[in-house]
Amino acid sequence: MLADLLQNTLDGLAAGASYALIAVGFTLIFGVLRRANLSYGPAIMLGSYAAAFAFQNYGLGLIALAGICVFASVLAGAYVERLCFAPHRKGSAIAAMVASFALWMQLEEVAMLVMPKHLYAFPPLNQGGPLDFAGFTVRVEALVMLGAATAVCALVWWILYRTRFGLATRAVIESSRAAELSGISVPRVYIGVFALASAIGGLAGFLISASFEQVTPMLGMWSTLKGLLAMMLGGLGSLPGAVVGALALGLLEAHSQWYLGPQLRDLIAFLLLFVLLAIGPRWMTPSNG
Amino acid sequence: MDDYLIGVLTNIGLFGFMALSAYLLLLAGEMSFGQQAFFGVGAYSGGMLTAMLGWPLPAAALAAMAMGALAALIVALPTLRLRGLYFAMATLAAAEMARIGFELLHWQVVVAGEPTGPDGTQGFRGIRWVFENGVEPGTYLAIIWTLLAMVVGLFIAMERSRLGAALRGVGEDPELSASLGLNVIRVKLAVAAAAGALAALGGVLYAHHNTYIEPRNFDIMLGVHSLAYALIGGLGTVFGPLLGVLVDIGLLEGSRVFQGYRMIVFGGLVALLLMVRPRGLLDEGTVQWIKRRFS
Repeated sequence: MLADLLQNTLDGLAAGASYALIAVGFTLIFGVLRRANLSYGPAIMLGSYAAAFAFQNYGLGLIALAGICVFASVLAGAYVERLCFAPHRKGSAIAAMVASFALWMQLEEVAMLVMPKHLYAFPPLNQGGPLDFAGFTVRVEALVMLGAATAVCALVWWILYRTRFGLATRAVIESSRAAELSGISVPRVYIGVFALASAIGGLAGFLISASFEQVTPMLGMWSTLKGLLAMMLGGLGSLPGAVVGALALGLLEAHSQWYLGPQLRDLIAFLLLFVLLAIGPRWMTPSNG
Repeated sequence: MDDYLIGVLTNIGLFGFMALSAYLLLLAGEMSFGQQAFFGVGAYSGGMLTAMLGWPLPAAALAAMAMGALAALIVALPTLRLRGLYFAMATLAAAEMARIGFELLHWQVVVAGEPTGPDGTQGFRGIRWVFENGVEPGTYLAIIWTLLAMVVGLFIAMERSRLGAALRGVGEDPELSASLGLNVIRVKLAVAAAAGALAALGGVLYAHHNTYIEPRNFDIMLGVHSLAYALIGGLGTVFGPLLGVLVDIGLLEGSRVFQGYRMIVFGGLVALLLMVRPRGLLDEGTVQWIKRRFS
């Protein structure tokens, strides 16, 4: 009984770490642009598809595949930024969001044209079985995921608080108009943030695909939904909040899956989001959101 | 008319209801990611009434619209004060709950020796009222387009009335509208209920056209597509959203030229169009210009 609880908590934290990677990228984009990028998940999916393609055809190793994931995601992210967000920088948030949905359709169809099967194999991170700690099983992938999430958070913190680019980014988050007036190139900050977020997304896609050992076109919608859920649960636009929201989502899902099954697991996650939005606690609805 | 054309025109009509539902909410300043839920509520409740309980389609359609309006009110009440992404995400969460609800819905009765009714993820087959009552595809198409024309007529009448002004006022600036004495909450609830009923009407007609529905039909793709239709067609007139549907389903899906590339073409078209016309092809300015030209 207690053992199940602990095992589920471990599994939940591992899932939460993967959500955290996605949510951090999502939140970076939302925090800076104040616009939701629905194509974020599909760009991640495209990165994983590119890597799966390289794996199928050239049998590349894991490091190369990770590089391809990141590179292709950044490329797809740049395309989305140019077409959906740069033109609407001062215009309509709805138009930008609908445009990003339109490109979601595109990215998904491109992936399915190049690789039309429903499912492609992706190499696992480790060939051996899960580790065993005093009766609890821990997958190596889970540890890597947690490590990667921690490292990425540290890296993002360092970029935001220790570099000139980070200073400019924080100024834009505070007020893009004031930042522009003080000589910061806002479009350049947008591109930088998009590249950073997409690179994080590419890494997340690599780790998620390697731990599922497969890629499907559903990865796009899955990533967008999980990222949005975690970002909203943690309070819109706050990076620590996104991490907390992601871990909470992972834990909630792991426990409700164990006790109630997969369908109710998803139902409960959406119910929680709906109820929280309806009640509107202060941390969920910051005034500048 | 050949069957293919009838099929395409039927689909344009069916998704026209969804596009108008999204348009109505956009006029009131609300972007919903969840209208697919009410399309689904209409499809499921209407299908259950005709296929399982033997109701005639017109009565089932009215009941389905009432169900859609009721469901929309249940979602609207707790989300009244939410805006922007918060509102979009709350409606998405509600719609995903509804979709999972359809997955969990198992209720079958034996009709003419066959178990009939929703069977979870296996879907709900045998919604055959239209076929059993000898309604030809062409006739069904005419029924759909007549209903759509009636809805368009209601929109035109509404936009000319004080109600239309109130609606756009609430959409533009709720605080200002409230200070002018408008009951913003009542307008928003009425809009939500009407948009829900409209989506449900589309849903019940869709279910009886396809004879088979499954929870997957009502996922976020449907909702965001409807939003995209309204937005690319334009927010200036009720014909804008219908133009949006026509471009996607009529031009791209209908003409077989783009087979396999439809989403790439449509997606690129939408993104490029929104760059030059962020409020769609037929936006308010264009509609004013056309009106001046022809009056």
